[in-house]
Amino acid sequence: MSEKLSYKQHISAQFNAELDAIKNDLLEMGGKVENQIELATEALLQTDSEPAEAAILIDRSINRLEVEIDEQCARILARRQPAASDLRLIIAIAKVTTDLERIGDEASKVARVAIKLAPVQSPQPTELRFRRIANHVNRMLRQSLDAFARQSVEQAVKVVLSDADIDDDYHSAMTELQQAMRTHPDHIEYLMEQVWALRSLERIGDHASSIAEQVVYLARGVDIRHADNEGLRNLIN
Amino acid sequence: MIMATGQSLPGQRRWQRVLGTLMIWLTAAMVTLSVLTAGAFLGLLLWFAGSWLTAEGMASGGVLVRFWGNLQQLLFQPSASLGIEAMLPAIIGTVIMIILMTVIVAPLGVLVAVYLSEYAKNTWYTELLRIAIQNLAGVPSVIFGVFGLGFFVYAVGGEIDGWFYAETLPRPTFGTPGLLWASLTLALLTLPVVIVASEEGLARLPTSMREGSYALGATRFETIIRVLLPAAGSSVLTGVILAIARAAGEVAPLMLVGVVKYAPTLPVSLQAPFIAFEQKFMHLGFFIYDVAAHANVGEGRLGLICAAAVLLVGLVMLLNLTAVLLRKRLRDRYQALSEE
Amino acid sequence: MPYMQRDALIQASQFQSTAARTPPGLVVQQLSLSYPGNGSALVDINLDIPAGAVTAVIGPSGCGKSTLLRCFNRMNDTIEGCRYSGAIYVGDNNVLAAATDVTALRRRVGMVFQRPNPFAKSIYDNVAYGPRIGGIRRKRDLDEIVERALRDVALWDEVSDRLHTGALRLSLGQQQRLVLARTIAIEPEVLLLDEPASSLDPISTLKIEELIYELKHTYTIIIVTHNMQQAARVSDWTAFMNGGKLVEFDETDRIFTNPVERATEDYITGRYG
Ligand SMILES: Nc1ncnc2c1ncn2[C@@H]1O[C@H](COP(=O)(O)OP(=O)(O)O)[C@@H](O)[C@H]1O
Ligand SMILES: [Mg+2]
Repeated sequence: MSEKLSYKQHISAQFNAELDAIKNDLLEMGGKVENQIELATEALLQTDSEPAEAAILIDRSINRLEVEIDEQCARILARRQPAASDLRLIIAIAKVTTDLERIGDEASKVARVAIKLAPVQSPQPTELRFRRIANHVNRMLRQSLDAFARQSVEQAVKVVLSDADIDDDYHSAMTELQQAMRTHPDHIEYLMEQVWALRSLERIGDHASSIAEQVVYLARGVDIRHADNEGLRNLIN
Repeated sequence: MIMATGQSLPGQRRWQRVLGTLMIWLTAAMVTLSVLTAGAFLGLLLWFAGSWLTAEGMASGGVLVRFWGNLQQLLFQPSASLGIEAMLPAIIGTVIMIILMTVIVAPLGVLVAVYLSEYAKNTWYTELLRIAIQNLAGVPSVIFGVFGLGFFVYAVGGEIDGWFYAETLPRPTFGTPGLLWASLTLALLTLPVVIVASEEGLARLPTSMREGSYALGATRFETIIRVLLPAAGSSVLTGVILAIARAAGEVAPLMLVGVVKYAPTLPVSLQAPFIAFEQKFMHLGFFIYDVAAHANVGEGRLGLICAAAVLLVGLVMLLNLTAVLLRKRLRDRYQALSEE
Repeated sequence: MPYMQRDALIQASQFQSTAARTPPGLVVQQLSLSYPGNGSALVDINLDIPAGAVTAVIGPSGCGKSTLLRCFNRMNDTIEGCRYSGAIYVGDNNVLAAATDVTALRRRVGMVFQRPNPFAKSIYDNVAYGPRIGGIRRKRDLDEIVERALRDVALWDEVSDRLHTGALRLSLGQQQRLVLARTIAIEPEVLLLDEPASSLDPISTLKIEELIYELKHTYTIIIVTHNMQQAARVSDWTAFMNGGKLVEFDETDRIFTNPVERATEDYITGRYG
């Protein structure tokens, strides 16, 4: 009965156009954020400040998009009084925008760390784990945005569930960094920077997961923010 | 649509405008003409009415003064020389008959209208009834007189005499033309007008008004009596006004069912039962006819006729005015902001 | 359907009610109806309308909303050849039973129509009409009823100095509130409102909605509206109808954020048709 696959168009073509525009803006913002993360992690791992500068530059356009999308949301709420799936779409977009903007901020932080570390050849005890974590959160973000675009509950739930997979790497990386601090107390300043970068990556994962949660709300009208894993698995089956 | 700018309208539109202006002027001219005609007619009547009675030495004074003099004499002093009776009894007779007729026709008409509009379903029978009622309005009035004489006077009146006035038979009481039969005959004559106007008034009331009443738990009867009839009141009164206007002009049928040239007593009195339904009575319309036909051909006969005519017209206008005022009051009551 | 919440809601409204009375709920069972020569207008409707709450009936034009509403007070009886079957319980009585005293039913289940329909009478006589029909004659009693009803609909201050002037001279918004006062004056238990604000300006509309909100503690209210925002604003429960059928009935919050049925979703989001 409640197959929500292909929606009919609204009677108001103008409303359709407005919704399409805001969705496109959101996906554009998502793409920029993805790009930014890639640049920032690359800069960090290659100790190259050039991509880091580019990442920080992108953040401005992300901020501008956030404001724009929020304005569109407010306008649609005021003028269209959306209901049901339209209402959920606007609410979800507003929240996803916030998450994306935060991700952008975190990516900027990573980029700044990269800029600081670039001139010094500091030890990189955690390079492997760093790479894995960076890849993982990048994938999470891409998948959650993809799930949003396709309103795929299944994919979104997978993203939420995969958030736990970072934890292992994260804790190991932390331990390794502590170890390094003990053995090279003179490098502690740079190692601390790496700790911040690690934390930022981990936060990006959280935000990506939160985007995925909004996808489930959008598609099913169910709030899974505080659901346990079993509840999540039930959603897919 | 794109309008041509400036003074130059497209040819067709200009013609339409000219035509429209022409129509307005034509209508205005016609209205003025009819008002003038009516005024001239009344003035002429007045003039003739005033010109009568030169013999009595009222040579001086204007038309109105002389008219008033004529009127006084007409009203109160039978003129033996002219072979006519005083006019006052005829006026009273006319008024009483019309009032009686109104009292009969209004409820009867409303009753039929309510039946047709609120109770009857739309069947061939009600359709037939409606057609019959409309046709009734087209029957020559004298036919009503014949019917009244045959049905009311002989059939109904004869029956009544047989039951209640057997001791005075063979001298008839109700079995002869009289006030009641005349009023009934006229009521029958004017019934279609009242029915049609009332039914239209009821039909014009929106269904939502009826539903509003039903929704408050009112029965159909309560709805009709308390909501619909008051709301249709002005339409009913319009019908009654038309009925009065029509009735006041009728003479022919009355000659058959109750009006006489001379009645020794008035049909009304100050003692109970106040009104004598069975009596014959005098009528202004008949008075005019009588004077015209039978008065000695004297110098002032035309003036006399005209004075009586003016009086008849005035009387009808007065009755109509009463009804119109009543209707206006009814309308104001429910629609004006500043009342009471 | 979350019945637990529903019960809580009913209890809450009883708790708030100032008058010591409990309006009845309405239960519709297998209600079908057809107009002469027009096929069926209602098809097997089953509906459980909670007491002391506002239930909105929404749906596209001609889907049978008014028809359904007019079943509750047997208004359809006035339409010749209209046939219906099924049962509607108001409290314990099946009002569709042949033995029902229709005039008594209509005093229990009051109705306000789409277009204001005051009688061609004075303001006072309009409001006093129902009580008078009901046998109240004493002027003092009538005065009191009229004033209370007019106050209830927030019209008293506007008209108290011209109670005896014609009701048809009021503005449309005032007329509609007058009609509501006229209905309240007979103290029904259930209020049926058929698009009560559709011919009113936005401010009058808000006033009517505010009234509905205040009245729901003492009445069971069913409102038909084609204005979805209005349904969302005033109602606790919403029924969505389409083509003479009841498609979905649920709490208003749910209908307007996450309806179950696809047809409801399409209608509410403006994708209908
Ligand atoms: N008195 C009537 N006679 C015949 N058909 C009617 C009558 N009233 C309504 N209908 C039909 O019944 C259907 C439902 O009408 P209604 O209940 O007024 O719809 P809604 O109020 O939802 O717009 C419509 O198709 C309408 O044409
Ligand atoms: Mg309707």
